[in-house]
Amino acid sequence: MINKFTRMAMAATIGGMLSTAALASDLVITFDDLNPDKKAAYDAAVEAFKAANPDINVTANNGDREAHKDTIRNALQNDAPDVITWYPGNRMAPFVDPGLFMDISDLWASDPNLSANFNAIKPTMSRNGKQWGVPYSYYQWGVYYRKDIYDKLSLSEPKTWDELLGNCDALKEAGVTPFTIGTKYLWTAAGVFDYLNLRTNGYDVHNDLTAGKIKYTDPRIRATFAKWEEMLDRCSFVKTHATMSWQEAISPFANGDAAMYVMGNFSVGQYKDAGLTDEQIDFFQFPEITPGLARAEEAPADAFFIPAKAKNVENAKKFLAFVATPEVQAEWNKTIGQLPPNSAAAINTDDKFIVEGMETLSTAAGLAQFYDRDAPAAMAKAGMEGFQKFMLDPSTLDEVLESLDKVQAEVY
Amino acid sequence: MTTNTAGTPGRFDTSTSRVVVAGVALAVCIVLLMFVISTSMMQEVMGYSQRIEARVPTFFVRMAALVAAIVAAFYMITGLSWYKRNKVAIAPWLFLAIGLAFFMVYVIVPIFQSVSYSFTKWNGLYDIDGVWTGTWVGLHNYKVLLDDPNFYTSLWNNLLWLVLFMLAVPVGLFIALFLNQTVTGIRIYKSLFFFPFVISQVVVGLIFAWAYNPEFGLLSEIWSWFFCETKPNFMGNMTRVCSVDPPSILGDEVYATYGVIAAGLWPQVAYCMILYLTGLNNVSTELIEAARLDGAKGWKMLWHVVLPQLKPATFIAIIVTVIGALRSFDMVATMTRGGPFGSTNVLAYYMYDQAVGEGVGRYGYGSAIATVLFVIMLVYISYFLWRMYQDEVEAR
Repeated sequence: MINKFTRMAMAATIGGMLSTAALASDLVITFDDLNPDKKAAYDAAVEAFKAANPDINVTANNGDREAHKDTIRNALQNDAPDVITWYPGNRMAPFVDPGLFMDISDLWASDPNLSANFNAIKPTMSRNGKQWGVPYSYYQWGVYYRKDIYDKLSLSEPKTWDELLGNCDALKEAGVTPFTIGTKYLWTAAGVFDYLNLRTNGYDVHNDLTAGKIKYTDPRIRATFAKWEEMLDRCSFVKTHATMSWQEAISPFANGDAAMYVMGNFSVGQYKDAGLTDEQIDFFQFPEITPGLARAEEAPADAFFIPAKAKNVENAKKFLAFVATPEVQAEWNKTIGQLPPNSAAAINTDDKFIVEGMETLSTAAGLAQFYDRDAPAAMAKAGMEGFQKFMLDPSTLDEVLESLDKVQAEVY
Repeated sequence: MTTNTAGTPGRFDTSTSRVVVAGVALAVCIVLLMFVISTSMMQEVMGYSQRIEARVPTFFVRMAALVAAIVAAFYMITGLSWYKRNKVAIAPWLFLAIGLAFFMVYVIVPIFQSVSYSFTKWNGLYDIDGVWTGTWVGLHNYKVLLDDPNFYTSLWNNLLWLVLFMLAVPVGLFIALFLNQTVTGIRIYKSLFFFPFVISQVVVGLIFAWAYNPEFGLLSEIWSWFFCETKPNFMGNMTRVCSVDPPSILGDEVYATYGVIAAGLWPQVAYCMILYLTGLNNVSTELIEAARLDGAKGWKMLWHVVLPQLKPATFIAIIVTVIGALRSFDMVATMTRGGPFGSTNVLAYYMYDQAVGEGVGRYGYGSAIATVLFVIMLVYISYFLWRMYQDEVEAR
């Protein structure tokens, strides 16, 4: 009697399940950016995908970027969506190595668009010779500056370290703080460090340092910090940087109290929101420090991955292939003011920063992801705290470097 | 002991029919639970499972079966003869059973888990087969901890919190004494003073962080009356030029922790105040009158007559303040996130930061910090429990 009853209940449950499976298939996407333009681009792409695949029932989630860094662990291990955003490079290693991301090398091989148009970024998406995700956007880093201030002082874009220091002297003379920065959330300081290190020592040293092969007390890294000390001394940063976020640090820049900002291209929209026009702001590549060194650039990418526990793998691959198409990449990156990783995708030629960024990155000898993506998270956190400490008080350099060596020995 | 001769059940006899019915129901529920769980596993293996649609019905079936099983188990136990005989001893435990089960699962077991993780190196992940990915490293994490300047900073800050947070008790007392009078509208003043305790800690943290902001905060506004003037800058925009820069409280490693503690004190003072206000209601007016006739007033009155009567309030105020200081996590998280460069870390936040925060993922190390915090709290909590026990013994 009881058996019969439960069997009936079970049959009903399974029946119900089969019927839903037959009617429509599902796709659950988890995205991690609530900034208005990023959200708009994502929503538009999802709508386009829905229109192209009316039989797929799409659930599109979106959440805060910082919170996503915590929640992704749970999402990958328990209630996995079918598609999820994460960072490529070393930052994907903790999820690739225990098998929590799905190997999508077959998609890269079979999709003509993916196999032909993503050669530049393919190494970043690869680990152990396999591909794990599909990038939807990347962007250049460099120095954004107030062109009107430069013009008023008859300064020109510096090509070398000495020219930069000379510009700083002139700016300080005029009562303008050369650089703005907000280090409350630490990573902005890593951008400055990365560029000083890339220009002083080059791409390989950057990679060896973030891979734990070089110590922080290494003479080459000390040379980087010596340049930084010089920069702090002659090019000073805004004084209250430790209490500001990168967005708050825009206000002295917009007000004309500070003239330069080492930043990523995602910040341009915010300068314009702060009232600056295209005529007032411009971009130059971080100047050369060691003459003749091959120029490498920071170009962090954002990508979609398929969790190994995804339920609708076929639909997920369909979505990844869709996101990789030149049209979607062009539209998406036009909306958010960044660069499409797909080399066949059109770029927005009306945007001078995009044009300049494309040129900067396509001629670079190497593309770094960013200190906090190339280094393991535990190292990056300690490293960036060290950078902030050094910026506030350069005399603590030895103490900082020695403690970073300790963390390095522990983390790798 | 029973008079069960004619087949009529005595007070202490097992109610057979009841036990049988409840027992059968319990068995059914258990079978159903196992069945549902195993079939839902089968479905997943067979690939039928459609995420949410599949989980919701079995979830409800499972929960319903679980609740029914608990009810049936209670019904069965209360029908048994040994229960009836030992009712007085067993009944409290039955009432406590569910609470104890949750306490075991969510408090006691995690303590042991967390201590055991502290002997491992682990990034918090299980691999795709659900296999734990960590490695056993013995006392290594504790050795690293002893050599970690951030750990000592956190420990020192915890101590600062404990000591400075105690200010909430006397300040709360004096505000309570001040407000303990009958004036028109005193209720409004009382609620205004109590207000900071009502709003969320996160909001308090944000308000203070803004007030401290050296660019646009309240403090820097006041500062600029004395030291700053507004002048056009190089580009002709108005900007503030100061002869002495406004203090960057949360950006300076020396002042930041004091700034955070001050923010934490604001609601804590309100809490202590309300404890003393209720305590003052119970102060015997006769004793005050008698003391007054004897010529006591001012400090003497307060110290020898009022305060002894406020002893229970003081005890609770100290307890909640110590607990408040030890769990100072949210203020640190909202105001400074441990910064600048870790100088405002407390053990609770440092643990979170190393294990969970921003994907750092040093779970073993975080657990070691948690274990140290646990040991510190254990000392205090043991003392507290011992005091409570002593009081109860005296009361008997």
